[in-house]
Amino acid sequence: MTESAERTFEQAQGELEQIVEQLERGQAPLDESLKLWERGEELYAFCRAKLDAAEGRVEELARRAEQSRPPDGKPA
Amino acid sequence: MAKVEALPYDDRTVYSVAAFNGGVGQWLSRLPTVWVEGEVTELRRHERWATVFFTLKDPADGSSVGVTMARGRFDALRLDLSDGERVHVFGRPELYEQRAEFKLRALTIERFGAGAHLASLERLKATLAAEGLFADERKRPLPFLPRRIGVVTGNDAAAKRDVVTTIRSRFPPASVLVAETYVQGPRAAAEIVAAIGALCEHPDVDVVVLTRGGGSFEDLLPFSDERVVRAVAECPVPVVSAVGHEQDTPLCDLAADVRASTPTAAGKLVVPELTELYGRLDRAHAGLARGVRRSLEHDRQRLARSADRLHAWPRAAVDREQHRLERTRDRLRLAPVLAVERKRAALENTGAKLVALSPLQTLERGYAIVRTESGDVAASAGDISVGERVDVTLAHGGIAARVEEVTE
Repeated sequence: MTESAERTFEQAQGELEQIVEQLERGQAPLDESLKLWERGEELYAFCRAKLDAAEGRVEELARRAEQSRPPDGKPA
Repeated sequence: MAKVEALPYDDRTVYSVAAFNGGVGQWLSRLPTVWVEGEVTELRRHERWATVFFTLKDPADGSSVGVTMARGRFDALRLDLSDGERVHVFGRPELYEQRAEFKLRALTIERFGAGAHLASLERLKATLAAEGLFADERKRPLPFLPRRIGVVTGNDAAAKRDVVTTIRSRFPPASVLVAETYVQGPRAAAEIVAAIGALCEHPDVDVVVLTRGGGSFEDLLPFSDERVVRAVAECPVPVVSAVGHEQDTPLCDLAADVRASTPTAAGKLVVPELTELYGRLDRAHAGLARGVRRSLEHDRQRLARSADRLHAWPRAAVDREQHRLERTRDRLRLAPVLAVERKRAALENTGAKLVALSPLQTLERGYAIVRTESGDVAASAGDISVGERVDVTLAHGGIAARVEEVTE
């Protein structure tokens, strides 16, 4: 997915949900549906990676905040 | 009283200095006795002097007049006056003729009593209120975290201890600058004004606490002094006033931005409680982490639902297509069979109709067909003659007969 650099998580998630609904309606020709499905899998992988990265950052920041605090909660 | 004599000159009336002073003195001495109010300053009393001197000063604008009083009379009053005290002097104007010095000759002196103080306070209060000094819209909010807190208080006062202890216990890193002054007596007002001014010289003083513990009505008077009230109102930073007890309302309380009922209450007003600040910060911090985790979890679940449906799709799609294909195949196979069946049914239907229409069916019910010798079916009696031979067909078999009678 070459455009992934500019794509936001929300855009990808929105498109993924649209694709799933389109597939579930089952009205598209088979070839086209297969293409949609592949696209959906790509979007899913992208969203998953973004979420994992975000969670990693949150935990990292939380750990750092915890460490920078003196044990008694008072300023040095 | 000596008569004022003019010096003899031709064309003008000329007086000696002594005569002039004497004349003015005589004229002044005819003025009535009056009460004059002011502050005692520069009191001079000596055992060797027959007269006591002091200057009576108007606290409002500094106007002054010299006062003289016979020492015996002064001592008899047992007033024990000191500089700065406010008094009412009953006397008349008098000229010290030797030097043309105008004096107020006191006949009696009364210390300014509580009643007089009250009346004077009410007047001052009304004047300052009319000027808008006590107006709500003048009140400024206190800073949330003052860089430095100025405290004006007595040097040994419990009030000072209460304010400083409260500030330090609530907010240990607080910076407090104490200006100690007289908080009662005649010199207090000017010192308090100076102390407020000195504190405000420090650019990082963001709030001033003016405090004094409880005391008598007279003790608290400096805090109603016009100079102090104006200094409080004009203070460049907000002022918290905590003077006397709950029921006392010195005028500086009205001019201050916030009035505190006690020194401890004043301390609570000027700084937040550090432990509570930390608590709030911790709660906000915890909430922050919780919030971002919850948001991530929400996104993750939403993505998982999409993924489940997406991953289920290929299997479902293939199943659906297979099913559709099988149905088509079944229909394909059934088609010829159905076609034959349909034709057979149509044929049977036709056959049944054929049978229903056959004359044999009629014969079965007992009818017979009569044919003449020529082979024609006889439909009426006139077609047949007596003695003629006819063939009769029955449902089963037939007979040949000869006609015996014909009925038309």
